[in-house]
Amino acid sequence: MKRRTTMVSLIAAVVLLAVTVLPVVAQGAGEKEIVLDYFSGRVETVDWDAEKIAGFEAENPGITVEYEFQKDASNVIKVKLASGEVPDITTVVNQDFIDQGIYMDLSDAAFWNRILPSVKDLCTDLRTGKQYKVATNVTMGGLFYNKAVFTELGLSDAQTWEQFVANLEAIKKAYPDKTPLFLGGKDSWTLGHFVEFWAHGIVKQQLGIPGSRQAFLDNTVEWDAPNGIMENFAKALLELRDKGLLNSDAITATYDNQKEAFASGEAVIINQGMWVVGDIVKLNPAMATNIGFGPFPSVVKGLSPMVLCAEDSVYAISATSEHQDAALKFLEYMFSVEVQKEYSEARSMPSAFIDVESNWSPIKDDAKRLASAYVNINFSTEAPSGLSVDDTGRLIQKLLNGDYASPKVFATEYQKLWDNAY
Amino acid sequence: MHIDTGSWHRYMALPAFLLFSLFFLFPLMQGAVLSFTDWDGFSTPSFIGFQNFVDFLHDARALQDVRTTVLFALGSAPLLNLCGLALALLLNKKFRGKQVVRALLYLPAVISPMIMGSIWYLLLQPKRGLFALLLQRVGVSGQGNWMLSSNLALVIIVLVNVWQYAGMTMVIYLAGLQAIPLEHYEAADIEGASSSQTFRHIVFPQLIPSLKINIITNIIGSLSVFEAILALTDGGPGYDTESLSIYILRMCYGNKTGYSTAVALMLFLIILIPVFISLRFFNKVEER
Repeated sequence: MKRRTTMVSLIAAVVLLAVTVLPVVAQGAGEKEIVLDYFSGRVETVDWDAEKIAGFEAENPGITVEYEFQKDASNVIKVKLASGEVPDITTVVNQDFIDQGIYMDLSDAAFWNRILPSVKDLCTDLRTGKQYKVATNVTMGGLFYNKAVFTELGLSDAQTWEQFVANLEAIKKAYPDKTPLFLGGKDSWTLGHFVEFWAHGIVKQQLGIPGSRQAFLDNTVEWDAPNGIMENFAKALLELRDKGLLNSDAITATYDNQKEAFASGEAVIINQGMWVVGDIVKLNPAMATNIGFGPFPSVVKGLSPMVLCAEDSVYAISATSEHQDAALKFLEYMFSVEVQKEYSEARSMPSAFIDVESNWSPIKDDAKRLASAYVNINFSTEAPSGLSVDDTGRLIQKLLNGDYASPKVFATEYQKLWDNAY
Repeated sequence: MHIDTGSWHRYMALPAFLLFSLFFLFPLMQGAVLSFTDWDGFSTPSFIGFQNFVDFLHDARALQDVRTTVLFALGSAPLLNLCGLALALLLNKKFRGKQVVRALLYLPAVISPMIMGSIWYLLLQPKRGLFALLLQRVGVSGQGNWMLSSNLALVIIVLVNVWQYAGMTMVIYLAGLQAIPLEHYEAADIEGASSSQTFRHIVFPQLIPSLKINIITNIIGSLSVFEAILALTDGGPGYDTESLSIYILRMCYGNKTGYSTAVALMLFLIILIPVFISLRFFNKVEER
């Protein structure tokens, strides 16, 4: 009996030893393996990213890239930061995180001499003069229009607000069943882009890109100035609503409705970025040759039309990453000419790399023309992350719903929203 | 051989208590601590005393959300109970296909409220939804846009919520009904009681435990409404149909994490008060 007990104890001890020691031994054996966490919020390139990661891993056997995509990445990353799980590489970058020193300084990286100087400027942190992020592409935003309708009615890019309204009225008169300008306001970010492009664009035009970035950083723009930007912007939107130039469900239609309406020909003009082109062509391949691209007219008299021409597809490396060299190696792979050509064509966006030539979009020629003919504006990346396009879009929902007594009240509310975010 | 089970049985609850502490008590206490800070979600928090609670009382959007949440609960909780009870009474009768009808009525409750809300949005979307298109087909045009009126939008959200969860309330009432001994009905029948008298004096008093469970769970569920609103109106137009739960989420990820935990504690209190009152009321009724 005693012998049996001793045997059982011995076996139990061996099993226990194996269970506790084996993982340690296994860990020791795999010590040289580098695991990079790559956190992305880009829904359009989930499969593409996975494919490229496989290619990188095949070329770099000692490095494994653990890819994580989150649709709500800008929020999820806050949870990660709060729990100390900063990913080695991320596509989510904002000014608050830069100020907190979360990202690695990329200023000395070799890839900058391949990137457009204007994009490098937009990637430069105004407070420190350093680059904590790198953008691989340029995105554009403007008014997408139905070329056939414009040609038939003899319409062209509106140079002034009055000309823009006249264009919409001409469309309404010729095609009473079509919507001259279609909004997908239930997805409030689409309305927020109106503020971003049409209203913030005025500041960018008046102060220039560096001046406006500094003004946003310091919160010195007077949004509620009498007869100022937001008041004129509100007046302009209300004019479109009151003249019946918007869809009747402008506040409750979705982004998908907007794309479908444009692809089917129901809508003649939409306010969007070039990320919409691929989806429209998917919905109706015949539209590939029928998509025109024009600038936003200024809602303040005396200013020029504008086009959003901003950095896109951003990457950053964690300042606390233990594998910064491996992370840079991964970025260098992703930034190779072949990979970037593929990316540019997959995303329908021009590359920010001067050595990358790609056939990126059916609106390529229009985009080139607009970028050189009109004032280029950027995204307001210096605004605090607490101020989202979703919030600004909700103010427009209320404006179009008649919840503000006057455009002046709207301007005051906008100023409040902006101030509260700082 | 005597084994003293009394000394170690009490420790059997320890694993459950540890899990409860880890996933409920600890986050609750941590949240309570954070509610006294200005934490933005990623940088180092600073202690600011009761400032978040003072701000809440002056926050027009938050107070509007409290109103929306309470209105929703006032509409949803009674309707859920009325519909659930009515369905339970109907399905307590004998008829062919009863099991299938019960399953069908319960089915919406097992579907994610976000998916359910999205389906209803597709059906009810003004101008483009299935119902709007059907109305257009039969020549009824210009049906208006229910989503532009916050009151009407709220009514629709309440109805969708009732449609989804009435089956769940029904099941609890049905269990209560089936627990009533048949002899009680037979005695009432022999005594010549009418249907309404039977319900009032026999059925209803014995349904009190089911009523208690349903009222309390519906108050909690309705005051913490989230997905149905998110899918149907996204809280719009503006913030008119935004509930306090949605506001907490948006503040949490809008760089006001400390403030959002203070609002979450306020919501906890808002839920606790009616639950506490209901519990006291039902306990007194049950004592009688």
